[in-house]
Amino acid sequence: MNRAARLRRTLRVARAAASLWCLYKLPAAWRRLRGLPERKGRELDPTHERAAKVVLACALDLRGVIIKTCQAVATRSDQFPPAFVDRLKQLHDAVPPKPFPVIREVVERELGKPLGAVFARFEETPLASASLAQVHGARLHDGREVAVKVQYPDIEEIVRTDIRNVRRACRVYERFDPQPLELLPLLDELVSHTALELDFQREADSADRVRRLFAGNPRVVVPEIHREFSTRRVLVMERVGGMKITDKAALVAAGLDPVDVVQDLMDVWVRMILAEGFFQADPHPGNLFVTPEGKLVLLDFGLSKELPEGFGLGLFELMFSMMTLNEAAMLRAFQELGFETKTGDSSTFLLIARRMMERSESGRFEGEFTEEMTGELFEAIRENPVVRVPTDFVLVGRAFGLLSGIAHTLGSRANVLQAMRGG
Amino acid sequence: MQAEGYADAPLVWSREALLESGGYAEPLVANGVRCHGGFDADGRYRSPRTLHRGPAISAWQARLAREGTPLLDLDRRLMPPQYPNVAQAKLLLAHGVRDPVVRALTIISIVEGFGAIIRDVGVPDLRALLVEPVEGTALAHLAEGLFEAHARDESGWRDEGGHKQMWEAARDLAFERPKLPGDVLMRMMGRGGRGERGERLLPELDATAERLIVMMSRVLVVEIFAEGTFQWGIELLSDPELSAEPERAGALVRYVRADESPHVEYLRTALSELRGRTLRTVDGRTLPGRTAVDRVLHAMLRSLVRSRPEEQREDVRANLAEDMKVAANPAALLEAFDALDSVWTPPARTGFEPEPAATG
Repeated sequence: MNRAARLRRTLRVARAAASLWCLYKLPAAWRRLRGLPERKGRELDPTHERAAKVVLACALDLRGVIIKTCQAVATRSDQFPPAFVDRLKQLHDAVPPKPFPVIREVVERELGKPLGAVFARFEETPLASASLAQVHGARLHDGREVAVKVQYPDIEEIVRTDIRNVRRACRVYERFDPQPLELLPLLDELVSHTALELDFQREADSADRVRRLFAGNPRVVVPEIHREFSTRRVLVMERVGGMKITDKAALVAAGLDPVDVVQDLMDVWVRMILAEGFFQADPHPGNLFVTPEGKLVLLDFGLSKELPEGFGLGLFELMFSMMTLNEAAMLRAFQELGFETKTGDSSTFLLIARRMMERSESGRFEGEFTEEMTGELFEAIRENPVVRVPTDFVLVGRAFGLLSGIAHTLGSRANVLQAMRGG
Repeated sequence: MQAEGYADAPLVWSREALLESGGYAEPLVANGVRCHGGFDADGRYRSPRTLHRGPAISAWQARLAREGTPLLDLDRRLMPPQYPNVAQAKLLLAHGVRDPVVRALTIISIVEGFGAIIRDVGVPDLRALLVEPVEGTALAHLAEGLFEAHARDESGWRDEGGHKQMWEAARDLAFERPKLPGDVLMRMMGRGGRGERGERLLPELDATAERLIVMMSRVLVVEIFAEGTFQWGIELLSDPELSAEPERAGALVRYVRADESPHVEYLRTALSELRGRTLRTVDGRTLPGRTAVDRVLHAMLRSLVRSRPEEQREDVRANLAEDMKVAANPAALLEAFDALDSVWTPPARTGFEPEPAATG
């Protein structure tokens, strides 16, 4: 990436940051001058909506880390208003692809051979595109069908530039806002995740680990990695056909029961998170397929996360206490998981726990860790800003949120209690 | 059960009454955690939610006897011995090998907690399902307090701990808050997932009715088989040479055992009531309740007798070699451990062998 390109990216981020500043601060200053009360809560919804559009436009323009940042924001419903979370969610699966010649160049450079020397066929139209890479279908010379994940060129430098720009913008924001959102820790988290995702060798290792974990389960498929054709920037894996997991009509037409699909899905993630302490942290519908025989196909291990020792048991206790309506156990679990209050006062946890209990007064959770339930938890946390949420919990909460979303699309429930019992 | 002598109590109760505990002179606080139940003025432990539940169960059982329906029971000889048994566990602890015992106690606490899942068992319209009336039976009160009381006893409720927390407290008292082995949940969930889905046991019935019978039977078997676990826990945790708090830790397990008694009794009663009635099948025919309940219990007991000892053994042995590394001479310890193994020959019959098919 040349200097002009770097400058363009910097100016584009600065422009977006300035727009946000104007959206929030100018009306606030104007109201102060006129002696009007500060806008709070839902009064700010229209401003959040406009601001989210500005951020989305910048992300689609610059891609790279800006998209990753927005994806991270979209997972933090504990910190950001719903307008941001809802608007930026679309970046999880709506990123425009790079032209084929660009991709071809990367593959040939990485493999050190012309495309035709490795592949008998290479589909020019990608199967999927994301913020850091896109995936193409291909066939090896021995006839095996494969999926080839290719990192965008210069992406590492783009990432470095973008992180620098976003960090500058965050510092300026924190200096001038009397009660700033804690953006820098979020950015640090993003930097570490992005570094993981840019290393395809690590992704191959993660896929192998999850495949070994489910070696005894005939209903789970993790595609084999063809390591002989894979590098740090190109990943060649077995192509496994199947229906998109959210395509309910196709599942039913294949004679599959969506209830079983949802329960399998929940079993797999509960086992990874609670029992193994290592999980694929991005279970969005684009990464999950179902074969006509009902096997669950797991893709994309770029964002796989090792959880700290004891985290699984702590999370188990929290989920279990929520689902069995045990407020006291929930309080203990919050503390064991590393939730903190700035003042050290645990009464906030009690408030959150009681709120969860109130949520379940009429209808029990019945083993369902629903979108509403995670939503309620994060909303309670957002409304009690003294709470600091462990990063790992946010990733796990997001994963369960995505799984619940899939369950909802399939018109089914994901019974976590059943999954935690081992079926 | 403390309900004995209440045979003339009413047969119909409200949900609130079945969940009522009455007052305690002193609450039960286990290792700093407020738990359910408490002590009367004489210092005797009183189980939670038994103020009316106990008398109600007695009254339903008396009605069964009046109707000439036997109260079903399981042959205790079907219960496999605990693995590791008390002698084996004591041997491990004496040699500083704590993980297998801590793991076992943790899994017991979690399994107890999962008892709460019973509150989510759907109860079908029993008037439609059964040919005979159900008013004034335990069956009619399953969704009206019995399942909920059971769930609260197992996993706790609001600001009170239940059996899950009581077992945890007993473990933490005896072994001074030990570090929990990282593989507890993996062991509990099993390594290979759920495997293939099984065949239905009662395909003649609506799925909700089948689930109800299967779940009640499963929980009854677990509750009765748990007697061996309680005895194991009491002997082990009350041993002053192994336990840091022998009196308090052992007492907690005794309280759990006392609390479980109403669970066994209401489940025996409700399943016996079903056995004495007739079920309507999905195709408009009828099925004797005895055929349905016995088929489920027979299949369950036959499978448990076969698989449970293996599962327990697998749970312990999966990490035994690793766990024993802390001992001075692991090989000799393993040999001594195996020499203490229990010999168990289960009876050939479950007592619920199927009779010839009898759909009407």
